[in-house]
Amino acid sequence: MMHSARCALKSAASCSYSQLSTCRTRVCRSLASVASDGPAKSDATPKQTPQVGSAGHERAEKISKAMKAYLQRAQSHDKFMTNEIAEYEIGKRHLANIMGEDPDSFRQEDIDKAIEYLLPSGLFDRKARPQMKHPSQVIPKRKAAEFGVDGRPFHFLFYTGLPNYYQLMHETNLKLEALKHHEDKMLARDVSPETVLHLAGSQWLDSEKLGDMLREKIPERDFTQFVKLMDRLAAHPYSYLEKDFIMVYRRFLKSQAMLQEIPPLMYADDGRAYMEAEGIRKRAHAKVKVMDKGTGEINVNGRSLLRSFPTILDREQIVFPLQFVGKMSELDVEATVEGGGNSGQAGAIRFALSSALQSFVDRQMVEKMRLAGLLTQDPRRLERQKPGQAGARKKFTWKKR
Amino acid sequence: MIVSVAVSRCLRPCSTKRWASTSQRLLTAASMQPSVSNPQHDNIVENASSESLGGEVRQVIDPLKHPDYFGVADLFTLSDLFDARVHLGHKVGVRNAYMKPYIFGSRLGVDILDLEQTVPRLRLALNFTAHVAYRGGIILFISRSPQTLPLVEATARECGEYAHCRFWKGGSFTNATVQFAAVTRLPDVCVFVSTHDTVFEPHCAVAECAKMNIPTVGIVDSSCDPRLFTYPVPGNDDTPSAVKLYCRLFKEAILGAKAKRKEATDGAA
Repeated sequence: MMHSARCALKSAASCSYSQLSTCRTRVCRSLASVASDGPAKSDATPKQTPQVGSAGHERAEKISKAMKAYLQRAQSHDKFMTNEIAEYEIGKRHLANIMGEDPDSFRQEDIDKAIEYLLPSGLFDRKARPQMKHPSQVIPKRKAAEFGVDGRPFHFLFYTGLPNYYQLMHETNLKLEALKHHEDKMLARDVSPETVLHLAGSQWLDSEKLGDMLREKIPERDFTQFVKLMDRLAAHPYSYLEKDFIMVYRRFLKSQAMLQEIPPLMYADDGRAYMEAEGIRKRAHAKVKVMDKGTGEINVNGRSLLRSFPTILDREQIVFPLQFVGKMSELDVEATVEGGGNSGQAGAIRFALSSALQSFVDRQMVEKMRLAGLLTQDPRRLERQKPGQAGARKKFTWKKR
Repeated sequence: MIVSVAVSRCLRPCSTKRWASTSQRLLTAASMQPSVSNPQHDNIVENASSESLGGEVRQVIDPLKHPDYFGVADLFTLSDLFDARVHLGHKVGVRNAYMKPYIFGSRLGVDILDLEQTVPRLRLALNFTAHVAYRGGIILFISRSPQTLPLVEATARECGEYAHCRFWKGGSFTNATVQFAAVTRLPDVCVFVSTHDTVFEPHCAVAECAKMNIPTVGIVDSSCDPRLFTYPVPGNDDTPSAVKLYCRLFKEAILGAKAKRKEATDGAA
């Protein structure tokens, strides 16, 4: 904690010890309450506390060497934490005095500000800059005892070193065995599986997520084993029976279309729904207005599609989004486009039209449009001419002499 | 609050001379365990006080002096072993020279283990394991055979004991304080359902147990080295039917011993 800040503050802090002695006892008491209601991992007391010399027991329970060592370690850790917290409190009060503020209402945000002001640092990494945090945030949490008073571990796979992970593997294995058994039975009865488990759109949790879930750090070698086993379970024809179990260890992939917000339709005075959008391709910029309850009329810069784009390729480009969503004869399109050449203008209209069409169709169709490449802007621009050659790629005619 | 144990009920005939001598070996081995507690010892202390009150005469027998306190001799017969194919060893070519005394002969190029020798050794191993369970010891089942892994782990779980059928981190016993990041109580007996790590390599835990003075029970096939095991049991360690039999036997022995322990401690309370 506050290693860099401490040296600067320690000399000044020593003068205010006497007035803070009452504060220290309060800190100790509050620490005790924190320790009792902390999370399971930082639980300071083992699950079974030895009741030595209590009235109900005629003789003292035997405490194993392991538990004795644990209790000793816990005690020394608590003592260490008490000291650290007391020191932190003193430092905090003194910092408040330096900054000319009320020590009682000096909070962590104020400490951060004060440290930034008193010890300015240009170090790039934030963690390398001087800081002063509460010891509970800085000092790693102590692990709760994994064994009872007699030294017997709570978990039946404790000696493997990764009990939670291997228990998951064990249970998955048993499930797979059960599915195989079930399959055999069904084959004997000549029954085929009812449905299939679809896992598209999701993937297995990564090593870190799984580790967080199991509260263990899972080595790479073991993680690949996990994926292999889970794949085998998921590939089983009767895996749908274990859908709930499998889905716990899968993460859903959000589709890009789902992430985007689609603007709702707007309505004109005559009640026609319409949508506007813009699109860019090469040097062309297009603005498109799509109107509902139409006849399939497309106008570009006030002229008909056929007159604006004499090449069939360009017209196909523009019509493709309407054709794709199946609304060619329902919607009217009014486009204004400027800049660029024919194909660029056609592409710009196509992109603008596709984005506007999103509001007229459902989410699934939007996802289809995305997969078809309609909602992705073409980022390509004209490639520059290079010195020593005719164009971007074209070379001058080569003559030997 | 009567906790007396009738000696005649528990005594079982010691049929062979070998069986009698093994029970003596058991006595020394089981009393070597420092971290386990004898529930009947508490019993005797408790009884002494109640005796003076009630004036009842009790006969308390020492389980360690009893040849078969947990009745493990009745758990199986030689024909059970034969039916489970415990007698089938490996091919003659992979025979370990130290397994020669336990081999009955070879047939069609496969070693046949001598079940006459397996029976007393398995009984001895079961008896020892039951004694450890009775005294609250930790029993760790070890195997690296992928085929029987779920079975062994499930057996350990059902017994309320421990299993290690996964990758063995070197130093799990010899460097336990570092491996488990705390002072850790190590197992009081390790039961090796299969003693090999890979097809040819012996399991690292065998040597670690020997170094840490942890007694071991090992099912040794004709290709295994029986030297480092406290209680080697010659037998087939590959066939599922045989492994199922071992798991059933050890489970029954341990659960029986635990029931006796509960009986004794409940009687004491």
